[in-house]
Amino acid sequence: MYDTDTKNESRQPIISLQHVNKYFGQLHVLKDISLDVYRGEVIVVIGPSGSGKSTLCRTINRLETIDSGEILFEGKPLPREGKELAALRAQIGMVFQSFNLFAHRTILDNVTMGPMNVLHTPKKEASEEAMRLLERVGVGTQASKVPAQLSGGQQQRAAIARSLAMHPKVMLFDEPTSALDPEMIGEVLDVMTSLAADGMTMVVVTHEMNFARRVASRVVFMDSGSILEENTPDEFFTNPKTERARFFLNSIQGH
Amino acid sequence: MSTVRITARDMLYEEPGPKAKLRIRVVTGISLAAIAALAVVVIRQFYITGQLDPKYWSFFARATTWTFLGKGLLGTLEAAIMAGILAFTAGFLLMLGRISRFRILRGICTALIEFTRGVPTLLFIYFFFLVVPQFGIQMSAFWKISIPVAISACGVVAEVLRSGVNAVPKGQTEAALSLGMRDGSVFLKVVFPQAIRYVIPALIAELVIVVKDTTFAYVVNFPDLMQNAKVLISNYDALLSVYLVVAVIYILINYLLNRLSDTVAARQRRKKLNVT
Amino acid sequence: MSISQLLEQYGEEYLLALLTTWKLTAICFSAAFLIGILITVFRVSPIRPLRIFAELYIQIFRNIPGASLLILLVYALPYLNVLLSYFLCVAIAASLIPAAFCSEYLMAGINTIAPGQIEAARALGMTFPQIIRGVVIPQALRSSVLPLTNLLTATMLTTALASQVPMKPRDLTGLVSHINTHAVGGVMAFLISASLYCATAVVIGQIGNLIDRKVRILR
Repeated sequence: MYDTDTKNESRQPIISLQHVNKYFGQLHVLKDISLDVYRGEVIVVIGPSGSGKSTLCRTINRLETIDSGEILFEGKPLPREGKELAALRAQIGMVFQSFNLFAHRTILDNVTMGPMNVLHTPKKEASEEAMRLLERVGVGTQASKVPAQLSGGQQQRAAIARSLAMHPKVMLFDEPTSALDPEMIGEVLDVMTSLAADGMTMVVVTHEMNFARRVASRVVFMDSGSILEENTPDEFFTNPKTERARFFLNSIQGH
Repeated sequence: MSTVRITARDMLYEEPGPKAKLRIRVVTGISLAAIAALAVVVIRQFYITGQLDPKYWSFFARATTWTFLGKGLLGTLEAAIMAGILAFTAGFLLMLGRISRFRILRGICTALIEFTRGVPTLLFIYFFFLVVPQFGIQMSAFWKISIPVAISACGVVAEVLRSGVNAVPKGQTEAALSLGMRDGSVFLKVVFPQAIRYVIPALIAELVIVVKDTTFAYVVNFPDLMQNAKVLISNYDALLSVYLVVAVIYILINYLLNRLSDTVAARQRRKKLNVT
Repeated sequence: MSISQLLEQYGEEYLLALLTTWKLTAICFSAAFLIGILITVFRVSPIRPLRIFAELYIQIFRNIPGASLLILLVYALPYLNVLLSYFLCVAIAASLIPAAFCSEYLMAGINTIAPGQIEAARALGMTFPQIIRGVVIPQALRSSVLPLTNLLTATMLTTALASQVPMKPRDLTGLVSHINTHAVGGVMAFLISASLYCATAVVIGQIGNLIDRKVRILR
């Protein structure tokens, strides 16, 4: 359903981080990060708190700036400001840990705001598509409610629909289920799994290991700002190569 | 996770790119120039009307000037403190009436609160200055300013105290009652002390308003800062400079009171975070 | 004087005073709102001199007593060769002071917005003007309805400053002072003005509550 480029000739990564460094004051939060994401891949980034995985995710659509290195989208460096940056962000969807739906608008308006304002889609078309997307993620019946009236799981699914309405080429997920009550995590992960099955390129920062095992094309393990391991999920979970990865996997067992 | 509260205000502008940085520098320069130009215009006006002449300002170097103003300030503070005490007492009683079980009492107190909040302080002052003497009641100027200012403030105090009482968790009342305390004691010893602590910042803010209202003391000829200022003005024929200095004094006092209120509020917020 | 005598003699003047108070309130509140918006824009802008200017403005006009400001405008400005009508002096004083509070309330309204929403709007590709128009202003205004309603009442009470200068036509407070210095107006003269102020305040409060209930944002 989504644009998957499987030809080996034009194997240009859709996103490419090259030797990216970032500092928060004295703190070196991203240390020489290099990562390529290809179309259709699901990259799951895991690691302990403070490892920089959220920051990594947010540098891709320049919600965080970088101090050195390059980030390329479809081969071109990220614009630094202005209309070009806004246009780039319209092609990259982002789902936040705290959903961040617009509190003053209905769910339907939340989903149509992006297309109407940014893509200049006419209202009728935007509304129809929005309803389709809301139904697809399972919150079609909530369309005329405001976010405060929805459960966390419903809000997050609506937030996913909001991003999908922009027809993004890539979707970024920054700990999408970390703020949810346990019984609602499943419904959001199901939506994400179905997106992946349809071929959406995804970068997911999460603690949900089962999801990573089932859905990831590649698992990226980060600790203290560096990428320590990068492997297929099977390889990574059964045979972690670094001490810290082993320690991390052991410590999250049995939760 | 950082403990600094990020607000929407912090998020409004993102990290500027190179073009944006340039634009910011340019506009910063322009606005600095505009503000400087404004300052120049004002100072120039002072200069050409002769208001910068030392005869209008030199007496401020004398200690006697400041002690004189200080006495006036004392008068202001006296009136403000008395008004504050009266307002707190009246506000407390009104609040009790407002939350009482008796509908009629509740209705009367609500009406009184709305009345004191809907009428300007000046009107109350005129009532005590012009109308009360018509009934043969003699009052010193001190009461003629403190009472009306207190009346004007007591409604707000009542509502502030009520919000404090509502903020005390019900569990406190339940625990005290289950210990065998009686209703009245529960309120006075358990609920109210906590209620006050919640609303100290708001009460200080209301004190600022009381201080501002006492500047109308000249209406009733009460010797406060403003009155003493008038004496200085007639002595030195320096109206502009004196009134400016007086304004600055008032601004400073109220500014400090507001800072106190903010400090108390910040400390309360921190306490809340530590306990939970 | 009894109420019927009062109304016979001063009825028309009371009406005029009421209208004067309303007119002053409307003018001053509108000015205060506009100035308040401007000061708030300065406060949040990335331009430091404007931010400092705004903070100074707020500290000065939050803390200066109305009487002090009015005296400066009426008696001190002429020494700087600036002569303003009495009406203008009262209007300026009763606008500049509420403007400082207006900015405080608008700022509080902006801070009720969860910051993540602004990031989310940015991530969708919305430009800064779109974010301000679509997310910030609607939420800030809708959250500030009640404080701004109170400010409208407070502005009306501030216009009583008009009683301190020989302004014609008189406002509701000035009229009571006038009646009582020329006759024994008694409690009635005071009560009529007080009730008119109070009734206006109650109506303002009710309308404010209605508006707030309609536009309040559920969080």
